[in-house]
Amino acid sequence: MSKIPAPLAKGATIGITAPAGFMDLEQMSACIDTLQEWGYSVKLGDTTHSQSNTYFSDADEERRIDLQRLLDDPAVDAILCARGGYGVSRIIDRLDFKAFRHHPKWIIGFSDITVLHSQIWEEYGIATLHAPMAAAFNEDGPGHASLETLRAALEGAVSAYNIAPHPYNRVGHARGTLVGGNLTLLAHSIGTPSELKTKKTILFLEDVGEYLYNIDRMLQQLRRSGKLDRLAGLVVGGFTGTKDTPRPFGKDVYEIIRDAVSGYEYPVCFGFPVSHATENVALKHGVEHQLHVDREEVNLTERVKK
Amino acid sequence: MQRKSFLASLGALVAGSFVPTSADAFAIKGEEPSVKRPPWLKPGDTIAITSPAGAISEAELKPALEQIRSWGYRVRLGSTIGKKDFSFGGSDDERCADLQQLLNDPAVAAILCARGGYGSVRIIDNLDWSGFRKHPKWVIGFSDITVLHSHIHRHTGIATIHSKMCNSFPDDWEKAEPIQRDTVLSIRDALEGKPMSYTAPASERNRPGSAEGVLVGGNLRTLENLAGTASDIDTRGKILFVEDTGEYPYSVDRAFQNLYRTGKLNGLAGLIVGGFKLKPDDPGEEFGRDLYDIVLQRVGTLPFPVAFDFPVGHQRANFALRCGLRHRLAVRADGTTLTQTP
Repeated sequence: MSKIPAPLAKGATIGITAPAGFMDLEQMSACIDTLQEWGYSVKLGDTTHSQSNTYFSDADEERRIDLQRLLDDPAVDAILCARGGYGVSRIIDRLDFKAFRHHPKWIIGFSDITVLHSQIWEEYGIATLHAPMAAAFNEDGPGHASLETLRAALEGAVSAYNIAPHPYNRVGHARGTLVGGNLTLLAHSIGTPSELKTKKTILFLEDVGEYLYNIDRMLQQLRRSGKLDRLAGLVVGGFTGTKDTPRPFGKDVYEIIRDAVSGYEYPVCFGFPVSHATENVALKHGVEHQLHVDREEVNLTERVKK
Repeated sequence: MQRKSFLASLGALVAGSFVPTSADAFAIKGEEPSVKRPPWLKPGDTIAITSPAGAISEAELKPALEQIRSWGYRVRLGSTIGKKDFSFGGSDDERCADLQQLLNDPAVAAILCARGGYGSVRIIDNLDWSGFRKHPKWVIGFSDITVLHSHIHRHTGIATIHSKMCNSFPDDWEKAEPIQRDTVLSIRDALEGKPMSYTAPASERNRPGSAEGVLVGGNLRTLENLAGTASDIDTRGKILFVEDTGEYPYSVDRAFQNLYRTGKLNGLAGLIVGGFKLKPDDPGEEFGRDLYDIVLQRVGTLPFPVAFDFPVGHQRANFALRCGLRHRLAVRADGTTLTQTP
């Protein structure tokens, strides 16, 4: 049974931190303004305005401390990660989730933040929000088209997404905990304390900028480590900016994924709006969902306990 | 001798004399029984060539075939040579069947992978190692072939050779540079049982010390993607070498983070860092750390020697290493030495 953080009331405080890559504070101004328009207070962590001139928003220890403070601060009701990039796996083993366990709050983000989703779910059974980050609040930012889904999720709305069918879909009906995220980071976490268990779950995947052969290699790793054989269902999001080698791989990314799971029987849907592109709907990671795939439509719906 | 003097100046030296060897595979005395090596090759033995990963044409093999025949070996071409399924050297079934047949055939003394690319991981779980276990033979290659090295090490304990493959044999042997010839000849030395010892130049970033243990390793990203699978290796008490090419610095950092978090660094006897042709950072995404920074930061205070600039990787200086056999690593102020222990 998962623990789901409480909906945010008007006036609640959202802390913003950058646990991975650097982001200019100016790039976050639309995010800050919009969150305030939504009725929230914003608390900026130190990593949102560090003097970092490297890839990371700050040194490992500074990023860890910043996230730790927001996790521990009872006045912070949710934590929005400013951006992904790379860096969470460098600090996660030194985070202390004691206070957070007793007072769960939404942790929001995707891409590199997948590592946080996986570990928090596996270790503490607490739900997190796989959703757009600060850049999405800029008009051309990834996830911009899905901002309202983040707002609704924070306000406590039940998730229900209806999408168009895709020719590769495998029809069926599944119930299970919704887990997943960025394929590269899920693969990267296998064998570590952040490894996701996927048995009886509805797994969702997305990625950006990977070579086709590498996507195949990561799916082979998922398959060989037993992550694909006992799923309840599979939700395939966007794989944007994929690259190919001079000798073409010979399949597109959806063909690669379709073939990787062809030996199983659970429902599979393609083209789900979770991605690094403009559509990236908020998904409640670690919450029971049902997935319905038929020839006409696909529904991914949060299951509400009566 | 030109070759030797060049190697010495380059810093990678293959010691030259023969030692008498047994023709039979055996568990090496005084070592854990899991350490086994295939018989050394003798003139007239057969070396088979197969493509478990990327496609290659017969024409591309010509320089390799001429060279191997000049060493006194017979060459057998596997059925995947000349096959092409987009980037693969035949379909998964075809590549698996070819490698399986060569593994099982007692007349084949060594299997040289024609090239890397990508694809070994797609067939590895369908291979049957029972024939190979009974009659071990050398499996040779690198890069994607890291899957085979790791899987064979884990499941059979039989030694393999990490080296250049057919696509790295120089087109014109006479005009080839000494490093091209010497690295190719190191494959022959590795197969024939010559004592193996390599040196690498001193680096102020090296962490000095000495270590002894079984040598394992290969391509870093490939090792990362074997985590949690049946081909994942236990590195405790071993000397690990890693190399890679074309990765962004952040991606190499992430892979080292993976080695650390999967417990592959904690109990190491020693770490050898080969060539890493890093991809330049995208503008605005400068990682700000070079390979030395990445490795040393991740290794932290873990108590083992670290050697950089070792002649292994996607580069001309890529000498044959016998994986799965015990080696001694000495990292000193005047340079690094890696020697197979008798």
